[in-house]
Amino acid sequence: MATVRTQREIRQKAPLWLIGLLLANVVIMAIDARDNQGQQQIVRVWTQTVATPVQNVSSKAGGATSNFFRQIFSFRSIAAENEQLKQRVTEIESELHNARLQAAENERLKGLLDLRNQSTYQTLPARVIARDPSVWFNTITINRGTSAGVKINMPVVSATGIVGRVITVSPWASQVMLVTDEKAGAGAVVGQLGESGALGSVRGRPDLGLIEMRYVSGLEKVTLGDFVMTTGQDGIYPPGLKVGEVVDVKNGTATQPHQILIRPGAGLDRLEEVAVLLYEAPQRTAPAQTLPNVEKKKQ
Amino acid sequence: MGPIGDRQLAISNTIMPQLKIAAVLALSILLQLSLRVLWPPLSYIDFPLIVVVYIALQRDAWRALLVGTLAGIIVDASSGGLIGAGGFSKTLTAYIIYFAATKVNLENPLVRIPVLAAATVLDSTIYVFWHRLLGYPPVLPLMQTISYRLIATTIAGTLVLYMLDSLIADRSAQQRQFATRRRVARRSTGTLRRR
Repeated sequence: MATVRTQREIRQKAPLWLIGLLLANVVIMAIDARDNQGQQQIVRVWTQTVATPVQNVSSKAGGATSNFFRQIFSFRSIAAENEQLKQRVTEIESELHNARLQAAENERLKGLLDLRNQSTYQTLPARVIARDPSVWFNTITINRGTSAGVKINMPVVSATGIVGRVITVSPWASQVMLVTDEKAGAGAVVGQLGESGALGSVRGRPDLGLIEMRYVSGLEKVTLGDFVMTTGQDGIYPPGLKVGEVVDVKNGTATQPHQILIRPGAGLDRLEEVAVLLYEAPQRTAPAQTLPNVEKKKQ
Repeated sequence: MGPIGDRQLAISNTIMPQLKIAAVLALSILLQLSLRVLWPPLSYIDFPLIVVVYIALQRDAWRALLVGTLAGIIVDASSGGLIGAGGFSKTLTAYIIYFAATKVNLENPLVRIPVLAAATVLDSTIYVFWHRLLGYPPVLPLMQTISYRLIATTIAGTLVLYMLDSLIADRSAQQRQFATRRRVARRSTGTLRRR
Protein backbone atom coordinates (compact mmCIF):
# COMPACT_ATOMS: atom_id res chain seq x y z
CA MET A 1 0.00 0.00 0.00
CA ALA A 2 2.82 2.33 1.01
CA THR A 3 4.60 1.58 -2.26
CA VAL A 4 1.45 2.37 -4.26
CA ARG A 5 1.12 5.74 -2.54
CA THR A 6 4.75 6.58 -3.19
CA GLN A 7 4.39 5.67 -6.85
CA ARG A 8 1.26 7.82 -7.10
CA GLU A 9 3.03 10.71 -5.40
CA ILE A 10 5.93 10.38 -7.78
CA ARG A 11 3.59 10.38 -10.76
CA GLN A 12 1.81 13.46 -9.46
CA LYS A 13 4.98 15.37 -8.64
CA ALA A 14 6.94 14.44 -11.77
CA PRO A 15 5.56 17.33 -13.89
CA LEU A 16 6.53 19.78 -11.14
CA TRP A 17 10.09 18.39 -11.04
CA LEU A 18 10.20 18.55 -14.80
CA ILE A 19 9.18 22.20 -14.87
CA GLY A 20 11.66 23.04 -12.09
CA LEU A 21 14.58 21.35 -13.81
CA LEU A 22 13.71 22.77 -17.23
CA LEU A 23 13.51 26.26 -15.75
CA ALA A 24 16.89 25.80 -14.07
CA ASN A 25 18.40 24.74 -17.40
CA VAL A 26 16.86 27.70 -19.21
CA VAL A 27 18.26 30.11 -16.61
CA ILE A 28 21.76 28.58 -16.90
CA MET A 29 21.51 28.74 -20.69
CA ALA A 30 20.39 32.36 -20.67
CA ILE A 31 23.23 33.38 -18.34
CA ASP A 32 25.75 31.48 -20.47
CA ALA A 33 24.43 33.03 -23.70
CA ARG A 34 24.66 36.50 -22.16
CA ASP A 35 28.16 35.81 -20.79
CA ASN A 36 29.40 34.54 -24.16
CA GLN A 37 28.85 38.00 -25.62
CA GLY A 38 30.90 39.65 -22.90
CA GLN A 39 34.18 38.70 -21.23
CA GLN A 40 32.93 37.50 -17.82
CA GLN A 41 31.80 33.88 -18.16
CA ILE A 42 30.70 32.87 -14.68
CA VAL A 43 28.69 29.71 -15.43
CA ARG A 44 31.21 28.35 -17.91
CA VAL A 45 34.20 29.00 -15.65
CA TRP A 46 32.55 27.22 -12.71
CA THR A 47 31.29 24.24 -14.67
CA GLN A 48 34.63 23.88 -16.42
CA THR A 49 36.48 24.03 -13.11
CA VAL A 50 34.32 21.17 -11.84
CA ALA A 51 34.64 19.23 -15.11
CA THR A 52 38.44 19.54 -15.41
CA PRO A 53 39.28 16.47 -13.23
CA VAL A 54 36.80 14.36 -15.23
CA GLN A 55 38.35 15.59 -18.47
CA ASN A 56 41.82 14.75 -17.18
CA VAL A 57 40.76 11.19 -16.37
CA SER A 58 38.99 10.74 -19.71
CA SER A 59 41.96 12.20 -21.59
CA LYS A 60 44.35 9.74 -19.97
CA ALA A 61 42.01 6.80 -20.51
CA GLY A 62 41.32 7.79 -24.11
CA GLY A 63 44.99 8.39 -24.84
CA ALA A 64 46.05 5.03 -23.44
CA THR A 65 43.37 3.13 -25.38
CA SER A 66 44.12 5.08 -28.53
CA ASN A 67 47.83 4.35 -28.27
CA PHE A 68 47.16 0.68 -27.67
CA PHE A 69 45.06 0.35 -30.85
CA ARG A 70 47.42 2.55 -32.84
CA GLN A 71 50.37 0.36 -31.88
CA ILE A 72 48.52 -2.78 -32.94
CA PHE A 73 47.46 -1.32 -36.28
CA SER A 74 50.84 0.19 -37.06
CA PHE A 75 52.90 -2.89 -36.16
CA ARG A 76 53.06 -4.16 -39.77
CA SER A 77 54.26 -0.91 -41.23
CA ILE A 78 56.85 -0.25 -38.54
CA ALA A 79 59.80 -1.81 -40.42
CA ALA A 80 59.18 0.15 -43.62
CA GLU A 81 58.48 3.28 -41.64
CA ASN A 82 61.74 2.84 -39.73
CA GLU A 83 63.72 2.89 -42.97
CA GLN A 84 61.88 5.97 -44.17
CA LEU A 85 62.44 7.68 -40.85
CA LYS A 86 66.18 6.99 -40.97
CA GLN A 87 66.36 8.68 -44.37
CA ARG A 88 64.21 11.52 -43.16
CA VAL A 89 66.44 12.05 -40.11
CA THR A 90 69.45 12.46 -42.37
CA GLU A 91 67.58 14.99 -44.49
CA ILE A 92 66.29 16.85 -41.45
CA GLU A 93 69.75 17.04 -39.93
CA SER A 94 71.06 18.85 -43.00
CA GLU A 95 67.96 21.04 -43.09
CA LEU A 96 68.41 21.83 -39.42
CA HIS A 97 72.00 22.83 -40.01
CA ASN A 98 70.90 25.22 -42.78
CA ALA A 99 68.04 26.52 -40.65
CA ARG A 100 70.43 27.25 -37.78
CA LEU A 101 72.68 29.23 -40.07
CA GLN A 102 69.71 31.16 -41.42
CA ALA A 103 68.32 31.70 -37.92
CA ALA A 104 71.64 33.12 -36.75
CA GLU A 105 71.72 35.45 -39.72
CA ASN A 106 68.10 36.34 -39.10
CA GLU A 107 68.83 37.17 -35.47
CA ARG A 108 71.66 39.47 -36.46
CA LEU A 109 69.44 41.28 -38.96
CA LYS A 110 66.66 41.59 -36.44
CA GLY A 111 69.08 43.05 -33.94
CA LEU A 112 70.07 45.60 -36.54
CA LEU A 113 66.46 46.53 -37.18
CA ASP A 114 65.55 46.44 -33.50
CA LEU A 115 62.57 44.18 -34.24
CA ARG A 116 63.33 41.51 -31.71
CA ASN A 117 60.74 42.65 -29.18
CA GLN A 118 57.98 42.72 -31.73
CA SER A 119 58.56 39.31 -33.23
CA THR A 120 59.19 37.07 -30.25
CA TYR A 121 56.33 35.67 -28.22
CA GLN A 122 56.43 33.90 -24.95
CA THR A 123 54.88 30.45 -25.24
CA LEU A 124 53.20 28.25 -22.69
CA PRO A 125 53.12 24.50 -23.43
CA ALA A 126 49.78 22.83 -22.75
CA ARG A 127 48.20 19.40 -23.08
CA VAL A 128 44.86 18.74 -24.75
CA ILE A 129 42.70 17.18 -22.04
CA ALA A 130 39.36 17.03 -23.84
CA ARG A 131 37.69 17.43 -27.16
CA ASP A 132 34.17 18.65 -27.70
CA PRO A 133 32.03 15.68 -26.63
CA SER A 134 29.10 16.89 -28.70
CA VAL A 135 29.29 16.65 -32.45
CA TRP A 136 27.88 20.11 -32.97
CA PHE A 137 30.91 22.30 -32.13
CA ASN A 138 34.69 22.38 -32.68
CA THR A 139 36.48 23.06 -29.44
CA ILE A 140 39.23 21.49 -27.35
CA THR A 141 40.10 21.92 -23.69
CA ILE A 142 43.69 22.44 -22.56
CA ASN A 143 45.19 22.03 -19.10
CA ARG A 144 46.29 25.65 -18.65
CA GLY A 145 44.18 28.45 -17.28
CA THR A 146 44.34 31.82 -15.57
CA SER A 147 46.76 30.42 -12.97
CA ALA A 148 49.32 30.00 -15.78
CA GLY A 149 48.62 33.41 -17.28
CA VAL A 150 46.22 32.41 -20.05
CA LYS A 151 43.70 35.04 -21.10
CA ILE A 152 40.72 35.11 -23.45
CA ASN A 153 41.58 35.47 -27.16
CA MET A 154 45.18 34.32 -26.76
CA PRO A 155 46.31 32.34 -29.82
CA VAL A 156 47.02 28.61 -29.52
CA VAL A 157 49.51 27.04 -31.90
CA SER A 158 51.21 23.73 -32.60
CA ALA A 159 54.61 23.16 -34.15
CA THR A 160 53.02 23.05 -37.59
CA GLY A 161 50.51 25.88 -37.51
CA ILE A 162 47.81 27.78 -35.69
CA VAL A 163 45.27 25.75 -33.73
CA GLY A 164 42.76 28.37 -32.60
CA ARG A 165 42.09 30.93 -29.92
CA VAL A 166 41.13 30.77 -26.25
CA ILE A 167 37.43 31.44 -25.73
CA THR A 168 36.96 30.51 -22.06
CA VAL A 169 39.45 30.50 -19.21
CA SER A 170 39.00 28.87 -15.82
CA PRO A 171 41.75 28.63 -13.18
CA TRP A 172 43.21 25.32 -14.41
CA ALA A 173 41.83 24.85 -17.90
CA SER A 174 40.88 26.77 -21.00
CA GLN A 175 38.59 26.10 -23.89
CA VAL A 176 39.97 26.72 -27.37
CA MET A 177 37.89 27.34 -30.47
CA LEU A 178 39.60 25.54 -33.35
CA VAL A 179 40.50 27.44 -36.47
CA THR A 180 38.15 25.14 -38.44
CA ASP A 181 35.15 26.44 -36.50
CA GLU A 182 32.76 28.52 -38.57
CA LYS A 183 33.01 31.37 -36.06
CA ALA A 184 36.82 31.35 -36.08
CA GLY A 185 38.46 33.93 -38.31
CA ALA A 186 41.86 35.44 -38.96
CA GLY A 187 43.59 37.80 -41.33
CA ALA A 188 45.82 35.85 -43.71
CA VAL A 189 47.99 36.08 -46.76
CA VAL A 190 48.94 33.50 -49.39
CA GLY A 191 52.74 33.39 -49.36
CA GLN A 192 55.00 35.58 -47.28
CA LEU A 193 53.73 38.74 -45.64
CA GLY A 194 55.31 41.73 -47.34
CA GLU A 195 56.04 39.78 -50.53
CA SER A 196 52.56 38.70 -51.57
CA GLY A 197 49.52 40.85 -52.18
CA ALA A 198 47.07 37.94 -51.86
CA LEU A 199 45.54 39.21 -48.65
CA GLY A 200 42.24 37.97 -47.30
CA SER A 201 40.56 36.46 -44.29
CA VAL A 202 40.17 32.85 -43.28
CA ARG A 203 37.13 31.18 -41.78
CA GLY A 204 36.50 27.58 -40.71
CA ARG A 205 34.54 25.12 -42.82
CA PRO A 206 33.66 22.45 -40.23
CA ASP A 207 31.60 20.48 -42.76
CA LEU A 208 34.80 19.87 -44.76
CA GLY A 209 37.30 20.01 -41.89
CA LEU A 210 39.13 22.71 -43.83
CA ILE A 211 39.57 26.48 -43.78
CA GLU A 212 38.14 28.82 -46.37
CA MET A 213 40.03 31.92 -47.48
CA ARG A 214 37.94 34.79 -48.76
CA TYR A 215 38.37 38.23 -50.29
CA VAL A 216 41.62 37.38 -52.11
CA SER A 217 41.70 39.46 -55.28
CA GLY A 218 41.15 37.41 -58.42
CA LEU A 219 44.13 39.17 -59.98
CA GLU A 220 46.59 37.63 -57.52
CA LYS A 221 48.27 34.37 -58.44
CA VAL A 222 47.39 31.49 -56.10
CA THR A 223 48.44 27.91 -56.75
CA LEU A 224 47.90 24.59 -55.00
CA GLY A 225 50.40 23.90 -52.26
CA ASP A 226 51.00 27.58 -51.44
CA PHE A 227 51.43 28.33 -47.76
CA VAL A 228 49.04 30.67 -46.00
CA MET A 229 50.32 32.82 -43.12
CA THR A 230 48.67 35.14 -40.61
CA THR A 231 48.91 38.88 -41.15
CA GLY A 232 48.24 40.00 -37.59
CA GLN A 233 45.44 42.30 -38.73
CA ASP A 234 42.72 40.43 -36.86
CA GLY A 235 43.85 41.54 -33.42
CA ILE A 236 44.25 37.94 -32.19
CA TYR A 237 47.03 36.13 -34.05
CA PRO A 238 50.48 37.71 -34.43
CA PRO A 239 51.79 38.00 -37.99
CA GLY A 240 53.85 35.26 -39.63
CA LEU A 241 52.22 32.13 -38.18
CA LYS A 242 51.43 29.32 -40.56
CA VAL A 243 47.72 28.71 -41.13
CA GLY A 244 47.99 25.86 -43.61
CA GLU A 245 48.41 24.88 -47.22
CA VAL A 246 46.17 25.65 -50.21
CA VAL A 247 44.40 22.47 -51.34
CA ASP A 248 41.76 23.88 -53.68
CA VAL A 249 41.44 27.09 -55.70
CA LYS A 250 38.55 28.26 -57.82
CA ASN A 251 40.15 31.07 -59.73
CA GLY A 252 38.42 34.41 -59.61
CA THR A 253 38.37 37.24 -62.10
CA ALA A 254 39.14 40.96 -61.97
CA THR A 255 35.82 41.52 -60.24
CA GLN A 256 35.44 38.25 -58.35
CA PRO A 257 37.73 37.02 -55.60
CA HIS A 258 39.35 33.58 -55.56
CA GLN A 259 37.63 30.78 -53.64
CA ILE A 260 40.41 29.08 -51.70
CA LEU A 261 40.33 26.07 -49.41
CA ILE A 262 43.19 25.47 -46.98
CA ARG A 263 44.20 22.36 -45.07
CA PRO A 264 45.16 23.43 -41.53
CA GLY A 265 48.87 23.10 -40.85
CA ALA A 266 48.23 21.82 -37.34
CA GLY A 267 46.89 18.24 -37.39
CA LEU A 268 43.70 19.16 -35.56
CA ASP A 269 42.37 15.59 -35.38
CA ARG A 270 45.33 14.28 -33.47
CA LEU A 271 46.40 17.19 -31.30
CA GLU A 272 47.99 16.22 -28.02
CA GLU A 273 50.41 19.02 -27.19
CA VAL A 274 49.92 22.67 -28.07
CA ALA A 275 51.38 26.00 -27.02
CA VAL A 276 49.54 29.09 -25.92
CA LEU A 277 51.17 32.27 -27.19
CA LEU A 278 51.11 34.74 -24.33
CA TYR A 279 50.43 37.41 -26.89
CA GLU A 280 48.00 40.23 -26.64
CA ALA A 281 47.46 42.26 -29.77
CA PRO A 282 48.18 45.97 -29.40
CA GLN A 283 45.05 47.94 -28.60
CA ARG A 284 43.77 49.99 -31.47
CA THR A 285 41.90 53.22 -31.10
CA ALA A 286 38.37 52.84 -32.31
CA PRO A 287 38.04 55.04 -35.40
CA ALA A 288 34.46 56.03 -34.61
CA GLN A 289 35.47 57.59 -31.30
CA THR A 290 38.14 59.74 -32.88
CA LEU A 291 35.88 61.23 -35.52
CA PRO A 292 34.93 64.81 -34.85
CA ASN A 293 31.28 64.08 -35.75
CA VAL A 294 31.00 61.64 -32.86
CA GLU A 295 32.26 64.22 -30.44
CA LYS A 296 29.66 66.62 -31.70
CA LYS A 297 26.89 64.05 -31.26
CA LYS A 298 27.90 63.40 -27.67
CA GLN A 299 27.77 67.07 -26.89
CA MET B 1 14.36 -12.08 9.37
CA GLY B 2 15.82 -9.95 12.23
CA PRO B 3 16.11 -6.12 12.34
CA ILE B 4 19.73 -6.19 11.12
CA GLY B 5 18.77 -8.36 8.17
CA ASP B 6 15.87 -6.01 7.35
CA ARG B 7 18.17 -3.00 7.45
CA GLN B 8 20.70 -4.71 5.18
CA LEU B 9 17.92 -5.62 2.76
CA ALA B 10 16.61 -2.03 2.81
CA ILE B 11 20.11 -0.66 2.15
CA SER B 12 20.70 -3.08 -0.70
CA ASN B 13 17.29 -2.25 -2.19
CA THR B 14 17.66 1.53 -2.04
CA ILE B 15 21.35 2.41 -2.17
CA MET B 16 22.73 -0.26 -4.49
CA PRO B 17 20.61 0.63 -7.53
CA GLN B 18 21.48 4.29 -7.05
CA LEU B 19 25.18 3.49 -6.84
CA LYS B 20 24.94 1.36 -9.96
CA ILE B 21 23.16 4.13 -11.85
CA ALA B 22 25.74 6.71 -10.68
CA ALA B 23 28.56 4.42 -11.82
CA VAL B 24 26.93 3.79 -15.21
CA LEU B 25 26.29 7.52 -15.67
CA ALA B 26 29.91 8.38 -14.80
CA LEU B 27 31.15 5.72 -17.21
CA SER B 28 28.90 6.98 -19.99
CA ILE B 29 30.20 10.54 -19.54
CA LEU B 30 33.81 9.32 -19.51
CA LEU B 31 33.16 7.37 -22.72
CA GLN B 32 31.56 10.41 -24.33
CA LEU B 33 34.57 12.56 -23.44
CA SER B 34 37.25 10.07 -24.44
CA LEU B 35 35.94 8.23 -27.50
CA ARG B 36 36.41 11.20 -29.82
CA VAL B 37 40.14 10.96 -29.19
CA LEU B 38 40.11 7.30 -30.25
CA TRP B 39 38.11 7.81 -33.45
CA PRO B 40 36.18 11.06 -34.15
CA PRO B 41 33.04 9.44 -35.68
CA LEU B 42 32.43 7.65 -32.35
CA SER B 43 31.28 10.99 -30.94
CA TYR B 44 28.03 10.50 -32.86
CA ILE B 45 27.04 7.95 -30.20
CA ASP B 46 25.36 9.74 -27.30
CA PHE B 47 26.13 7.45 -24.34
CA PRO B 48 24.61 9.67 -21.62
CA LEU B 49 21.35 9.80 -23.64
CA ILE B 50 21.26 6.00 -23.77
CA VAL B 51 21.55 5.85 -19.96
CA VAL B 52 18.82 8.49 -19.62
CA VAL B 53 16.54 6.48 -21.92
CA TYR B 54 17.23 3.32 -19.94
CA ILE B 55 16.31 4.94 -16.62
CA ALA B 56 13.20 6.57 -18.10
CA LEU B 57 12.10 3.17 -19.42
CA GLN B 58 12.29 1.86 -15.83
CA ARG B 59 9.44 4.33 -15.07
CA ASP B 60 11.53 6.05 -12.42
CA ALA B 61 10.62 9.70 -13.04
CA TRP B 62 12.78 11.39 -10.42
CA ARG B 63 15.96 9.52 -11.31
CA ALA B 64 15.37 9.92 -15.04
CA LEU B 65 14.90 13.70 -14.76
CA LEU B 66 17.86 14.16 -12.43
CA VAL B 67 20.18 11.97 -14.51
CA GLY B 68 19.04 13.79 -17.68
CA THR B 69 19.88 17.20 -16.23
CA LEU B 70 23.19 16.12 -14.71
CA ALA B 71 24.41 14.26 -17.80
CA GLY B 72 23.43 17.12 -20.07
CA ILE B 73 25.11 19.82 -18.02
CA ILE B 74 28.35 17.86 -17.51
CA VAL B 75 28.66 17.18 -21.24
CA ASP B 76 27.77 20.82 -22.00
CA ALA B 77 30.60 21.98 -19.71
CA SER B 78 33.17 20.36 -22.00
CA SER B 79 31.42 21.38 -25.18
CA GLY B 80 31.56 24.62 -27.12
CA GLY B 81 27.76 24.90 -27.01
CA LEU B 82 25.55 26.61 -24.46
CA ILE B 83 25.60 25.16 -20.97
CA GLY B 84 22.11 23.95 -20.10
CA ALA B 85 20.99 23.17 -23.66
CA GLY B 86 21.97 19.52 -23.32
CA GLY B 87 20.50 19.46 -19.81
CA PHE B 88 17.19 20.81 -21.08
CA SER B 89 16.96 18.44 -24.04
CA LYS B 90 17.85 15.34 -22.04
CA THR B 91 15.50 16.22 -19.16
CA LEU B 92 12.57 16.75 -21.52
CA THR B 93 13.41 13.59 -23.47
CA ALA B 94 13.58 11.63 -20.21
CA TYR B 95 10.16 12.87 -19.14
CA ILE B 96 8.51 12.13 -22.48
CA ILE B 97 9.88 8.58 -22.47
CA TYR B 98 8.89 8.10 -18.83
CA PHE B 99 5.37 9.32 -19.64
CA ALA B 100 5.11 6.99 -22.64
CA ALA B 101 6.45 4.09 -20.57
CA THR B 102 3.72 4.59 -17.95
CA LYS B 103 1.04 4.41 -20.66
CA VAL B 104 2.45 1.76 -23.01
CA ASN B 105 4.59 -1.28 -22.33
CA LEU B 106 8.03 -0.42 -23.73
CA GLU B 107 9.98 -3.22 -22.06
CA ASN B 108 10.21 -5.32 -25.20
CA PRO B 109 13.75 -5.05 -26.67
CA LEU B 110 12.33 -4.58 -30.17
CA VAL B 111 10.15 -1.67 -29.06
CA ARG B 112 13.18 0.00 -27.50
CA ILE B 113 14.81 0.50 -30.91
CA PRO B 114 12.25 3.07 -32.15
CA VAL B 115 12.21 4.60 -28.66
CA LEU B 116 15.97 5.15 -28.84
CA ALA B 117 15.70 6.56 -32.35
CA ALA B 118 12.92 8.93 -31.33
CA ALA B 119 14.85 10.00 -28.23
CA THR B 120 17.93 10.82 -30.34
CA VAL B 121 15.95 12.90 -32.83
CA LEU B 122 14.07 14.68 -30.05
CA ASP B 123 17.22 15.41 -28.04
CA SER B 124 19.10 16.74 -31.10
CA THR B 125 16.16 18.86 -32.25
CA ILE B 126 15.65 20.50 -28.87
CA TYR B 127 19.41 21.07 -28.49
CA VAL B 128 19.71 22.75 -31.89
CA PHE B 129 16.47 24.71 -31.34
CA TRP B 130 17.82 26.37 -28.18
CA HIS B 131 21.12 27.20 -29.84
CA ARG B 132 19.40 28.77 -32.84
CA LEU B 133 17.01 30.66 -30.57
CA LEU B 134 19.83 32.16 -28.52
CA GLY B 135 22.00 32.98 -31.54
CA TYR B 136 24.52 30.13 -31.43
CA PRO B 137 23.73 27.93 -34.44
CA PRO B 138 25.77 24.69 -34.42
CA VAL B 139 28.48 24.52 -37.01
CA LEU B 140 27.57 21.21 -38.66
CA PRO B 141 24.76 20.56 -41.18
CA LEU B 142 21.62 19.75 -39.18
CA MET B 143 19.97 16.88 -41.06
CA GLN B 144 23.21 15.08 -41.82
CA THR B 145 24.39 15.26 -38.19
CA ILE B 146 21.02 14.18 -36.80
CA SER B 147 20.96 11.23 -39.23
CA TYR B 148 24.44 10.09 -38.20
CA ARG B 149 23.56 10.47 -34.51
CA LEU B 150 20.31 8.58 -35.05
CA ILE B 151 22.06 5.63 -36.68
CA ALA B 152 25.03 5.51 -34.27
CA THR B 153 23.06 6.01 -31.05
CA THR B 154 20.31 3.57 -32.01
CA ILE B 155 22.72 0.78 -32.91
CA ALA B 156 25.02 1.31 -29.93
CA GLY B 157 22.05 2.01 -27.64
CA THR B 158 20.34 -1.28 -28.45
CA LEU B 159 23.46 -3.17 -27.38
CA VAL B 160 24.09 -0.97 -24.34
CA LEU B 161 20.48 -1.31 -23.13
CA TYR B 162 20.82 -5.07 -23.38
CA MET B 163 24.01 -4.91 -21.28
CA LEU B 164 22.44 -2.56 -18.75
CA ASP B 165 19.52 -4.94 -18.39
CA SER B 166 21.81 -7.69 -17.24
CA LEU B 167 23.86 -5.33 -15.05
CA ILE B 168 21.30 -3.15 -13.29
CA ALA B 169 17.82 -4.69 -13.60
CA ASP B 170 16.85 -6.25 -10.28
CA ARG B 171 16.27 -9.95 -10.16
CA SER B 172 12.67 -9.63 -9.02
CA ALA B 173 11.77 -7.81 -12.23
CA GLN B 174 13.50 -10.50 -14.26
CA GLN B 175 11.71 -13.22 -12.31
CA ARG B 176 8.40 -11.44 -12.92
CA GLN B 177 9.12 -11.41 -16.63
CA PHE B 178 10.00 -15.10 -16.62
CA ALA B 179 6.81 -15.90 -14.67
CA THR B 180 4.74 -14.04 -17.26
CA ARG B 181 6.48 -15.89 -20.07
CA ARG B 182 5.89 -19.24 -18.34
CA ARG B 183 2.22 -18.41 -17.91
CA VAL B 184 1.90 -17.47 -21.56
CA ALA B 185 3.73 -20.64 -22.56
CA ARG B 186 1.43 -22.80 -20.39
CA ARG B 187 -1.64 -21.15 -21.84
CA SER B 188 -0.53 -21.77 -25.39
CA THR B 189 0.30 -25.44 -24.63
CA GLY B 190 -3.15 -25.86 -23.09
CA THR B 191 -4.78 -24.47 -26.20
CA LEU B 192 -2.83 -26.91 -28.35
CA ARG B 193 -3.84 -29.86 -26.18
CA ARG B 194 -7.52 -28.89 -26.38
CA ARG B 195 -7.25 -28.81 -30.15
